[in-house]
Amino acid sequence: MKRVYNIAIVGVGGQGLLTLGSILGESAIHAGLDVAVAEVHGMSQRGGSVIVYVRIGEEPSPLIPIGGADLMISMELLEAARYTQYLNKNSILVTNDFIWPPPLAKYPSRETIITALREKIPELYIYDANKVSSEITGSIISANIALLGFSLGVNEELRNLIGLENVVKALEETFRGRVLELNKKLLYKSFEDGVKIAEEKRSTR
Amino acid sequence: MLLGNEAIARAALEAGICVATAYPGTPSTEIMEALAEVGEQCGVYVEWSVNEKTAFEVAYAAAISGLRSITSMKHVGLNVAADILMSSAYAGVENGFVVVSADDPSMHSSQNEQDNRWYGLLAHLPVIEPSNAREAYKFTKLAFELSTQYKIPVILRTTTRISHTRMPILLEDDIPTQRNCKGQFKFDTSRWVLVPGNARRRKLELMKTWSAIRENEGREPLVTIFNPGIEKAIIAGGIAYSYVREALDILGYRDKVTLVKVNLPVPLPLKPVKQVLEYSSEVLVVEELDPIVEMQVKDIALTSGFKGRIIGKELVPVNYELNLETVYNAVSKFLGLETTSEKIWSSVEQVRTDPPIPPRPPVLCAGCPHRETFYILKIAATKAGLKTPVYTGDIGCYTLGFQKPFETQSTCFEMGGSIGVASGLAKVVSNPVIAVIGDSTFFHAGIPPAINAVYNDSNIVVVVLDNMTTAMTGHQPHPGTGVSATGKQTTRILPEKVLEAVGYKVYVINPMRVKESIEIVAKAFEEYRKGVKIAIVSRMKCALEVARIARRAKIVLPVYTIIQDKCTGCMACINLTACPAIMVEPGAKKPRILGELCVGCGLCASICPYKAIEIANTPSPDYEKIWVEL
Repeated sequence: MKRVYNIAIVGVGGQGLLTLGSILGESAIHAGLDVAVAEVHGMSQRGGSVIVYVRIGEEPSPLIPIGGADLMISMELLEAARYTQYLNKNSILVTNDFIWPPPLAKYPSRETIITALREKIPELYIYDANKVSSEITGSIISANIALLGFSLGVNEELRNLIGLENVVKALEETFRGRVLELNKKLLYKSFEDGVKIAEEKRSTR
Repeated sequence: MLLGNEAIARAALEAGICVATAYPGTPSTEIMEALAEVGEQCGVYVEWSVNEKTAFEVAYAAAISGLRSITSMKHVGLNVAADILMSSAYAGVENGFVVVSADDPSMHSSQNEQDNRWYGLLAHLPVIEPSNAREAYKFTKLAFELSTQYKIPVILRTTTRISHTRMPILLEDDIPTQRNCKGQFKFDTSRWVLVPGNARRRKLELMKTWSAIRENEGREPLVTIFNPGIEKAIIAGGIAYSYVREALDILGYRDKVTLVKVNLPVPLPLKPVKQVLEYSSEVLVVEELDPIVEMQVKDIALTSGFKGRIIGKELVPVNYELNLETVYNAVSKFLGLETTSEKIWSSVEQVRTDPPIPPRPPVLCAGCPHRETFYILKIAATKAGLKTPVYTGDIGCYTLGFQKPFETQSTCFEMGGSIGVASGLAKVVSNPVIAVIGDSTFFHAGIPPAINAVYNDSNIVVVVLDNMTTAMTGHQPHPGTGVSATGKQTTRILPEKVLEAVGYKVYVINPMRVKESIEIVAKAFEEYRKGVKIAIVSRMKCALEVARIARRAKIVLPVYTIIQDKCTGCMACINLTACPAIMVEPGAKKPRILGELCVGCGLCASICPYKAIEIANTPSPDYEKIWVEL
């Protein structure tokens, strides 16, 4: 294992980024690892652009350096593009297939963004987490869990590091009752989707 | 896994506190939120005070009565409490008293990035600074010990990346189940009454304590020296230490420099620093924001005849928060190495698109009541013939109203500033002056200036945006909610009653009723032009709270939709509301509403000139109640 494994979670304030960061952190603890999850509270949470840093390793400092992310999980396409400087050529980018433009703004189309991302990042995965979340839970509110499951599916290094079973444990500590059951179902479904996509990608190389 | 702030709360409970107080403020809020949740069970009195000064006083009262207590605030909050802070240093305490100052370098959610370690130097009080969330836990307990030992308040200074970072923390102690929280006030006018004669004597006591700490507290863990005896030394404290340690690891220099970890930056202990200056000839001081430690190291160096070089802010940025890259580069340069952060982490850099990725500043949420009020104020001002009004603004979510299309916040300096600044502007400019302030901010610092404006006959309008919560910091109760920190019913204090009592003619509006509200406010503005002292209380609950309540109570809120046949694509709905739930797809001629985000405030529907926006679902019959009633 590398000394520190860096996961950047990006998106729009209110999309469940803090919950996702916290679940990753708890998963790491269940896997017996030290971790630091740096969050942003307050004003930026009001629909602003948000980045959460998850660093797994021995007593890590809180922030991921520019170019230092091993994995980026993005809840929204414009935000994925905004934070690409955190990635290097070996990084994995998993992004939600969703554009949520800021009010009154001019912005590039989905195709323009995806083409630009593809040029820089060989390991790019686009997943319609809103759709999967709606199908299983009836709302897009759990898109964060869908992206987590999908990321574990496509990213073997992360899977080996924290383990799917530890993520399930973390979910059990975060949610209760029916919400928990739906989120678990969503995690497994998106995980399988991820594994499948990764296999397809490997076989076409 | 605990957030740095939760770790402080836990440690305070283990340290045996009886009283905990705060006014919410990022990045300090979660300390008191955590304590409010469990306080009652643990026998601890917890309150959200009206402001930091009062919070300080309430907790200090416990400390002078022999009980341990804690008060927490954001860096600028300590400015509000600075008066009592200074006096508390003179009078001291009878048991451990910790003042948490959560600073916000880079101003993630603040109007400045002041370094509150200065307050330690100013008040002659010790400042303890953890380097990560785990240490926040350990050092809170240490701060209580130090305070108890020296009988003075101790400042625990954190920064955003400590307050808001989660780490696994191994708990050391249990929370005492039995605690005696009956305080005893010992009458002692020579100590508790700071008239000049007493204050002069107390000052000498304070300076004796200050010197004692400087001379005697060079012990671990207040200062720790790794690898003593090396020519090059790095002194670092707070979050900067975490970056230095990681940078040295990456460089492979962990064992090749003397590393001094400073957890008591104020007053900087003399002995360990002198010791390092005896064998090291080149010293780098790494700290976030101001050169507090650097200054003191240079002072010690000067008096001890040090001949070497002390480097600090020449290599380490003085503005904004540090990160691994800036510290790596500073350390690498200090060590005379060629490597830079760009060589270690080779970024693919930001992608370029046409058009470019638009900035995404924070915005008012979908359904935010402030959006309705701002729209109403603007239309009513035009209707009443108010020419270019100045909207003095304040601290809260509503500050976001400075942006287009509202532009109903023309200033924003500090808590309560809207009304005081309005008072002054009305004396010197000919524009109409409208002070716009939130409910919690009104109770915090808005009442004295509201009285000032009436007393000194300043012609202003006061608008209180009452969303029935302290929204920006995560929905804490305040006097206007009639609920205490621990969820107990208490006396509800209404802003309109306060304003009426001090001489305003007050109008209370429900901004969900847009047309009716415009009529009322326009009439009020006309009276204002005739010299009547006007206040408007706009009462509508925070949309985030409404959505939460609706979800829990299974109340269906309206969801609006744009009828494409009726819509002409005039864009009035999006241009006049800037609502994040309304979007225009690239190339589309007409906007659409994102049903998932719409909470049904109905502002866009009332604005649409073509009546093309309609309710798409079947809302619960009395849904409006949860928007306007407690």
